[in-house]
Amino acid sequence: MFEDIKLSKFFWFSMSIAYAFCFSALYTYATIPEYVLELNNTAQINITMKLTTVRLVIVAIALLTYPIILFRFFKYAKYFIVALTAWAVTVYIDDYFVLSEIIQYPERQLFSLVQSLRPILIASMFWMSIELVFRPLSLD
Amino acid sequence: MKDKNTNDLEFRSILGDASDKNSNDKDYIVQSSTFRLIFSFINLYTLILIVLFFIVTGNLVEGVNNNFLESGFSYVLSARALLLLLLLISFNMSAYFNYGFKYVCLILLVYMINSAIDNAVLFSGFMHLTDRPYYSAFNVTRPLFIIALFWVFIIHRDKIQND
Repeated sequence: MFEDIKLSKFFWFSMSIAYAFCFSALYTYATIPEYVLELNNTAQINITMKLTTVRLVIVAIALLTYPIILFRFFKYAKYFIVALTAWAVTVYIDDYFVLSEIIQYPERQLFSLVQSLRPILIASMFWMSIELVFRPLSLD
Repeated sequence: MKDKNTNDLEFRSILGDASDKNSNDKDYIVQSSTFRLIFSFINLYTLILIVLFFIVTGNLVEGVNNNFLESGFSYVLSARALLLLLLLISFNMSAYFNYGFKYVCLILLVYMINSAIDNAVLFSGFMHLTDRPYYSAFNVTRPLFIIALFWVFIIHRDKIQND
């Protein structure tokens, strides 16, 4: 199955980084202690958690859908990954430049770590997009 | 006067050679009229939306809820309007040069869906339809715009189609 679509090892490496990041984000959100939310029960944190829930639902759907598209509908995989990369960049720009005065993440080390690693996710997704868009077409 | 030495077969071959393959007129891609119509709609809609963003943030329209702009919403609208303007410029450039149009269209589509989700989640509590009727009209019709973008993405021709 892996030989059929002929992608570089760096692509699979980038994909595993992206998956690892998304799973760690899901884990961080799922295991957030109650007292963290109770201590920081501000409107900003509540609204941030609401937004994060919606985003993580989209992430979970993307995590499940992407392998299916990559292995079954390879022709459309490039559009899918470009859309996801655009979304990741949009969310990053939104958080740091647009919604910076409105949202606030709870104070937790794991949250800060996941937030600081977001550029790595974007870089790996960017590489995946480039490889799928600019890969030479096979003759068959 | 017709040259009697030239028969119909020769005429056909001469005209055939001068048609598709060697014609410079066929080097560019002609998009369908539906594409051009939807493309114009997207441009018009986005430009009016950007103008409305600035009208709302400048508080130039009569509103019911005066607390509307005092919750960081003003800054969000300005930043969104600027990003949308940049994306619209990229959208038109990629259509003009016919390079990467589908990707720019996809990015614009994702951006619009994301901003719609953000608005729905963050500002649904105090952004009522009656606050800014003109602006609300555009928020309500946003799905139409998203459908238009998706349609343009599908019907765009990025290669010359041979007969």
